Amino acid sequence: MLHVDLEFKRGAIELLVLKAVSWGPMHGYAIAKWIQQTTDDALRVEEGSLYPALHRLEDKGFVDPEWGISDSNRRAKFYSITPLGRKALRAEIRSWTLFAAAIAKVIVAPQPSG
Amino acid sequence: MGAIKREPMFRRYLRFWRADPRLDVHEELAFHLAMRTAEYQESGMDASDAERATRDRFGDVNGVRTEVERLALDRHSRQLRVQWWDALVLDLRLAVRTLRAKPAYAIALTLTLALGIGANLAIFTVVNSVLLRPLPLADPDRLVRVYDDLRGAGANDVGMSVPELEDLTTRAGVFDEVSATFPASTALEGGDRVERIELLATSPNYFELLQASAAQGRVYSRSEWKPGFLGSVVISDALWRRQFGATDDIVGKTIRLDEDPYTIIGVMPPDFRHPGTTLSGDVDVWGGAGFSADPFPSPPTRARILPGAIARLKRGVTLEQAQARLNAFGAALQREFPNDYPDQMRWSLRIEPVQSTLTGNVRPTLVILLAAVSFLLLIVCVNLASLMLARSSTRMRDYALRQALGASRGRIVRQLLTESLLVAVIGGLAAIIALKLSLGTLLALLPSDLPRLSEIHASWQVLAAALGLSIVTGVLIGLAPAYYATGADANRELKEGGRTGAGSSKRQNRSRSLLVVSQIALSVVLLIAAGLLIRSFAVVLRQNPGLDPTSVVTGQIWIPVPNNPAANKYLVPEKQSALVQQLLERLSALPGVEDAALGTPGDVPMLASVSNPRPFTLPDESTTQQDDHSAKFGSVSPSYFDALKIPLVKGRVFTAYDNISAPKVAVVNEAFVRKFSSRRDLVGRRLSGGRNNVVFEIVGIVADVRENGLDVETAPRVYFSLLQRPTVALSVFLRSHGELQSTKDALERVVHEVDPDLPTFGVRTMIEVMSASMARRRFSVSLMSAFALAAALLAALGIYGVMAFLVGQRGQEFGLRQALGATHTDILRLAFRPGFVLAAQGTLIGLIVAFPSTRLMSSLLFGVSARDPITFIAVPVFLAVVASVACLAPARRATRVDPIVALRG
Repeated sequence: MLHVDLEFKRGAIELLVLKAVSWGPMHGYAIAKWIQQTTDDALRVEEGSLYPALHRLEDKGFVDPEWGISDSNRRAKFYSITPLGRKALRAEIRSWTLFAAAIAKVIVAPQPSG
Repeated sequence: MGAIKREPMFRRYLRFWRADPRLDVHEELAFHLAMRTAEYQESGMDASDAERATRDRFGDVNGVRTEVERLALDRHSRQLRVQWWDALVLDLRLAVRTLRAKPAYAIALTLTLALGIGANLAIFTVVNSVLLRPLPLADPDRLVRVYDDLRGAGANDVGMSVPELEDLTTRAGVFDEVSATFPASTALEGGDRVERIELLATSPNYFELLQASAAQGRVYSRSEWKPGFLGSVVISDALWRRQFGATDDIVGKTIRLDEDPYTIIGVMPPDFRHPGTTLSGDVDVWGGAGFSADPFPSPPTRARILPGAIARLKRGVTLEQAQARLNAFGAALQREFPNDYPDQMRWSLRIEPVQSTLTGNVRPTLVILLAAVSFLLLIVCVNLASLMLARSSTRMRDYALRQALGASRGRIVRQLLTESLLVAVIGGLAAIIALKLSLGTLLALLPSDLPRLSEIHASWQVLAAALGLSIVTGVLIGLAPAYYATGADANRELKEGGRTGAGSSKRQNRSRSLLVVSQIALSVVLLIAAGLLIRSFAVVLRQNPGLDPTSVVTGQIWIPVPNNPAANKYLVPEKQSALVQQLLERLSALPGVEDAALGTPGDVPMLASVSNPRPFTLPDESTTQQDDHSAKFGSVSPSYFDALKIPLVKGRVFTAYDNISAPKVAVVNEAFVRKFSSRRDLVGRRLSGGRNNVVFEIVGIVADVRENGLDVETAPRVYFSLLQRPTVALSVFLRSHGELQSTKDALERVVHEVDPDLPTFGVRTMIEVMSASMARRRFSVSLMSAFALAAALLAALGIYGVMAFLVGQRGQEFGLRQALGATHTDILRLAFRPGFVLAAQGTLIGLIVAFPSTRLMSSLLFGVSARDPITFIAVPVFLAVVASVACLAPARRATRVDPIVALRG
């Protein structure tokens, strides 16, 4: 697990969650599994931290919850992305990409001359 | 992921009443943990390993749960608030738009409500200030009035002796403080004329008892105790303004009261009132005294010279406990002083909260008026409900459409209630403004003898009442239309294209009829209450007062009592008697005066005056019949019975020869004879009473005089000759064929000429005195009649509304009938019938309600039973007339339906 500051971590998790539900309504466990599978568990997210993130996203109006029945035939809370959430996701992706590119540039930068 | 499977319906219903965010969070997390554990188990872990692994993977379960719960709860309450406000704003905008679309309707609604609520607020203002609000004194619940009763003689409130007062303070053990209260007149010198003012002589601890302090200067206190009067007095704010021009240097000034000098040490605040009875009006000056030296008997005796006392109960002692201990204390005192408290007198002490002694006698009147005015508001509500119902029928299509589009019943009810509440709140505001503007006029209408009159003002409780009434009426008038609107059959309404369908109109007619019936029933109850009061008033007016008040002027004279007996010009009976004779001579010599008479203050009939009944004995009767012997005593001059034209029944009245040197004589009234000696002739028998048990011979019997008002049965009364038993306070009576005002002036002038030190006061015609004694009854009759008439008017409007609607609906039918040959009379009968049926049903219900409940107002009735048949017959007849008038116009319209038009339409 990377040691990053809390805000950074939160932002990252929210981005992951938004990306996950952008494919269609998902319950929290499915989101966790999706993240695990997609990243080959490289991030090893504490699954518990998903839920405050989901509820914060709900507060912001980025996701819309609805109770439904899971594949295993149990009651589960499904989250779907809202248009607002999609917009936020696009913005987040852009800034993460820029950030990552910047970091990448730094990493491959040659030794400064002079 | 595919589409979500919907949650089963029954689960949704479970969540219908109240979403539980906490439960949701729990379930959401539990689902996650269960799924993860199951997966680990599938991958081969045993149950406990799987669980541990799940937890490791999840992190701090409780921490997460707490955080998520907080987020969910916050969001939930935020959502509720937003929803609520959104809906309110929406409803309000809709309501304003609807009302503005029909301004006449909106104004009618608001004004009617403003009147209904305003009338309630006005009465409530009075009730609240007089009955409900505690006296403006510290800890008023612990203030009591102490009465001495002689139950053996049937005499209540006989006054108290000075040693008794001391015993109450030191030995009874239930009071923190006890103070005598001795209302008296006193002559204030210093103006251009001697003025009579109201004095309250009290024990020095009076202000400590009431925990009251002065606005300027100070009050006297327990530590200044003296056997006689203290040299210092406290004056009222009113006297300070009236007599001393509200000057700043009042404290320390010396005034002369009854010829003695006193130093003013303080002025009370304007709102301070003595919480008890006075002779007439508010106390002007308070004087402390020990009541055991001049001018009071010294050393004190067990004679009942003090009219009464007030006391402050010890903290934590209830009224009942105090009464029980006083009973025991009284019994002990009787054993100790058997001579002062003879067994057969059955002396006892009684305490009553000061507040109820002040306002107890107006409570029934005010409570009945409050009940009546709330009935009126109910009728107003019913009226407005049917008005709104009629309005809502034209909006049926709206509601049906909204319901068809998914609006819930609750949502539509809420919107209609918002509309009615808006109207009610505007009405309530208008009522408050109207009350504020009219409070002065209202106070002028109140009978001037209403206790705590000066304390009446609109307080925050009145505002709260206005708000409460607005909400209640708003809900009441909105409910019927809401119920009706949401019951609409959307399908039919929409198909009918906005025309009111037959099915729903039947439903609506039923609701409106129900409303009209209840309206009439309520009005019947009010009308009967008013009818009973009017009938009582008529009976009261028909009562024989026992005297002829026309062309009689009456007034009172105060004879000052200086503290030093030597300074008292009228100390000895001879001097008093001489004064009486001189006054009589001068007054009879006035031009136009036919009879001039003097008496004690209690001898002015119908003037609410403090006079305690006195025990007496009839020595000629066997001693076994000596129980229950008490009567009011008074002394009158020989011409008293002539001046007031009180008929002599038997024997003789007093003559000028019944003077101080002649044998003592007495005259009694017929009530006395009825109560104490119906079988035997009392004339010539002996009566013994008074302080020294003097024996009098009964020489005559006179007719009863309604001395406490026309509506109060006459009590037994003994008259003595003023020449033999003079007093320090006199009342004057002049029967004159001259002009009344000049007679009043002459009366004051003559008294001034005889002795300029004697103040004359309360000069009025006997008619004025009698009329004032009926002020309260007149007030309640006129208010109740106004309420009842308003109720009848509203009921008539209700009947009219329904009838007009019915006739309009059945226009086609009436046209058809006419075309088929029905006469005007037939049509009239058809058109009248429904209105009459409603009126009859309402009247019947009203009578059924009124019959048992009028008993509650029996204390306000006089000479009329609470089930007075005349009232119970007259009211239905009156309502029948009102109902037919209300039906007349619609019925006539029914006969004018043009058959051709009706059939085409």
